[in-house]
Amino acid sequence: MKLSSLFSCTVLVLSLLAVAFGASSNEEKVTQFFDSSETQHTNNWAVLVCTSRFWFNYRHMANTLSMYRTVKRLGIPDSHIILMLADDMACNPRNSYPAAVYDHPRKTTDLYGDNVEVDYRGYEVTVENFIRLLTGRVAPDTPRNKRLLTDDKSNVFIYMTGHGGEDFLKFQDSEEINSYDIADAFKQMWEKQRYREILFVIDTCQANTMYSKFDSPNILSIGSSKKGQNSLSHYHDFDLGVSVIDRFTYYNLEFFESVDLSSKKTLADLIAAYNRSLIQSDPGVRTDLFARDLKKTYLTDFFGAVQNVELTAEAFPIGGNKVKKSSVK
Amino acid sequence: MAALRDRIRTLLGRRSDPKTIISVQNDRRLVVTSILFLLLLGLPLWWTTTRVYRAELPATEISQFALDQVVPFTFYIDTPMTVTVENIERMAQKLIDKQRTHDLRVRYTAQVRHKTEVPDAPGHYTLRLREAAVGAVDFGVDRVAHVSVSEADSKKRDAAVAKLVADIVAKEERELREKKGARRALKYAPEYSVTFTLLNEDPVGGAAVSWDIEQAADIFVRPFADTLRPLAKLAVSTQILHHAGPPPVTPLAHDNGTYLTPDMLPHFANSPWWNLASTDPIAPTISFILYVPALRSQPLRIEGSSTNAFVVSQWGGIAIANLPGTEVGASVVISRDELQKYFGIFIAQLRELVGIRNDTPLIPGTRVSLQRATATGISSWELDALMRQWMVANHQTAITTLQSLVRLVESMENMVVMDEIKVQVDQSLSALRSIPQALSSGNQLLAFELAANASYFAEGAFFDPSMVSLLYFPDQHKYAIYLPFFLPVTIPLLAAIKKAIRRDSPQNDSKPDVPDDKKNE
Repeated sequence: MKLSSLFSCTVLVLSLLAVAFGASSNEEKVTQFFDSSETQHTNNWAVLVCTSRFWFNYRHMANTLSMYRTVKRLGIPDSHIILMLADDMACNPRNSYPAAVYDHPRKTTDLYGDNVEVDYRGYEVTVENFIRLLTGRVAPDTPRNKRLLTDDKSNVFIYMTGHGGEDFLKFQDSEEINSYDIADAFKQMWEKQRYREILFVIDTCQANTMYSKFDSPNILSIGSSKKGQNSLSHYHDFDLGVSVIDRFTYYNLEFFESVDLSSKKTLADLIAAYNRSLIQSDPGVRTDLFARDLKKTYLTDFFGAVQNVELTAEAFPIGGNKVKKSSVK
Repeated sequence: MAALRDRIRTLLGRRSDPKTIISVQNDRRLVVTSILFLLLLGLPLWWTTTRVYRAELPATEISQFALDQVVPFTFYIDTPMTVTVENIERMAQKLIDKQRTHDLRVRYTAQVRHKTEVPDAPGHYTLRLREAAVGAVDFGVDRVAHVSVSEADSKKRDAAVAKLVADIVAKEERELREKKGARRALKYAPEYSVTFTLLNEDPVGGAAVSWDIEQAADIFVRPFADTLRPLAKLAVSTQILHHAGPPPVTPLAHDNGTYLTPDMLPHFANSPWWNLASTDPIAPTISFILYVPALRSQPLRIEGSSTNAFVVSQWGGIAIANLPGTEVGASVVISRDELQKYFGIFIAQLRELVGIRNDTPLIPGTRVSLQRATATGISSWELDALMRQWMVANHQTAITTLQSLVRLVESMENMVVMDEIKVQVDQSLSALRSIPQALSSGNQLLAFELAANASYFAEGAFFDPSMVSLLYFPDQHKYAIYLPFFLPVTIPLLAAIKKAIRRDSPQNDSKPDVPDDKKNE
């Protein structure tokens, strides 16, 4: 009798202890969680640029729209995505699937869909507008969706695709941006604290030359092909009569299929997944300007919109007395 | 053919006439000199008309502009007791300097005066001293603190008051350096657009929800906005989103209801499908969401939160509203009185987001009490601290922006610098120059306005749309444009000049002048 009560007492004490420890470790986890967010960015932006015109460049628009879908799925809202599309393939008279854009001959997902917000369209996609957007030197009457309202706590993902060559990228067959222009724009952005980190991804021929002139800190660049190499297209669609996506972008997107909001996959994982024989060019990565270890840089740092949150400890005693007084209204 | 032969013959015949030779030579000389003359006149003209216009910016003044600032606080002692203000001021200043461990660019100082006409302005505070058994400080909502002094000895009393003054000033100075909470707060802007959204996840499986927002905003938010108005404008708008749909994270089930863990919260906010975007072109947006979960997940709780609410850094706040006792298909209006609870949370979040610290002006303790500004949500002490914090930040922004601008202009030779840029730079500089005077005369509000203006004009100059016009116009492009024009003109011209020189030179005088094309005949 006595023994059993002693036993049950011990059990009780032990279980109480366990509960207490469990609670404290849980609390620790909570505080740890909120502390670790101290050094992070607070907002994410994406600038997605398709610089090609004309029907046979269908794939460049599909590239860009696929990236748009991905960053949106991972949580960046339209208000923080600047989408620049030089040509409207969805409404092109040669499109046998009107109002739809596909990046695969299977045609399972319509990239255009019902929820695409294009910010710069058609002839608005110019070198000048792109530089103005990055540097913030836009006309005062520019609407909010055409402004890059970043600050020193913004991580910016910049994706460009189109036809290019060594140190240049063509805009709509009429002008070109060169690698010095982009490097200059980034320098000015850094000077005015318009970003915390930039991930620059470019899919074009000889893409790796485009990031060779960067000299501002905290920029990570990825290009689809080295100097002297072409970036090749992927699936050819016989209904549409054009290729629907580029290889480099396609295999990036394939990797992103396995990434969701809470994914802990890093940029190192993404780069390790590049397969030269599938992409058929040599993707390049430039890390010397980037301060963090790629193995500790989560994809969601650029492709998602993970935010710093903090629980509100107490409500403010607003309207203590005044409520009664002004209830006449 | 015969006619042509005749023509050549007459030409050749004329050649033998020395007069004609002289006249041709004179014509040639005239043509060459006139072209040279045109070049002499044209080159400077071309140079001036194609030159990039660059207004002279006061680069040296900008680069030498120091970030240093001295911000004096003035305390007025209102007491029947005898105090020596000079002593207090001296001791307080000594204490402040002693607490200053780092060499700071911005220094806060204290002035102590007898109670006279006290201006009701930022930076001017009244200390009402009275004798009591136990020392205590009670900060009011206005710029007044009631101080109970236990020391009977006048010297010790002076020391106690000096310590209090020093603590108030040094604490704010320290917080300015530590930038506590800066991660959460938005940067200063002359206008913020504040949006309150009632989000109903699922009105089909639950109730149609509405709220008494007009009255609630009038009572709970307007006083706050009015108080903040001298510093920044809050443009308040409200909306209801029906059929908002679920958040990207699924709450976990619990015995009765559901809950969210802290690591789910970052994904909860900012779903791309909630239409929260602002239409204002530049004003930073602060979003507040009152989230009504679907009936099946009610009550929804946040693990470890007593308020069931959280702040998203630099973005806004979210509060979860469970509506117990609602039925499917009912229509519910959240009344103003019910909203008071949620607006208490929103005001607390709004204070954090604009950068108000909760523990101003002294760390609350057993002998320090603070009156909360329940009517407005922001006390004068808090407002002043916020104003000084913004003033210092704007002052620094203005100077660093101007310095960046000068660096930028120097590094890009091709960049046009219009007169408007210079005007804005000058306006910014003149505002910056007046700040020390405004501060030393005790007008902190004026100093704040000047700093805000300085930063506004500096940013206006830096982000001026004209600053990009000739950015991508390298020298190669110039050659590409001019060469096709001038190369075809230049070569014959140079040849003609050469020929003229050769002809005029003395050793050629004796030789008969035979044109090159005739030599081969």
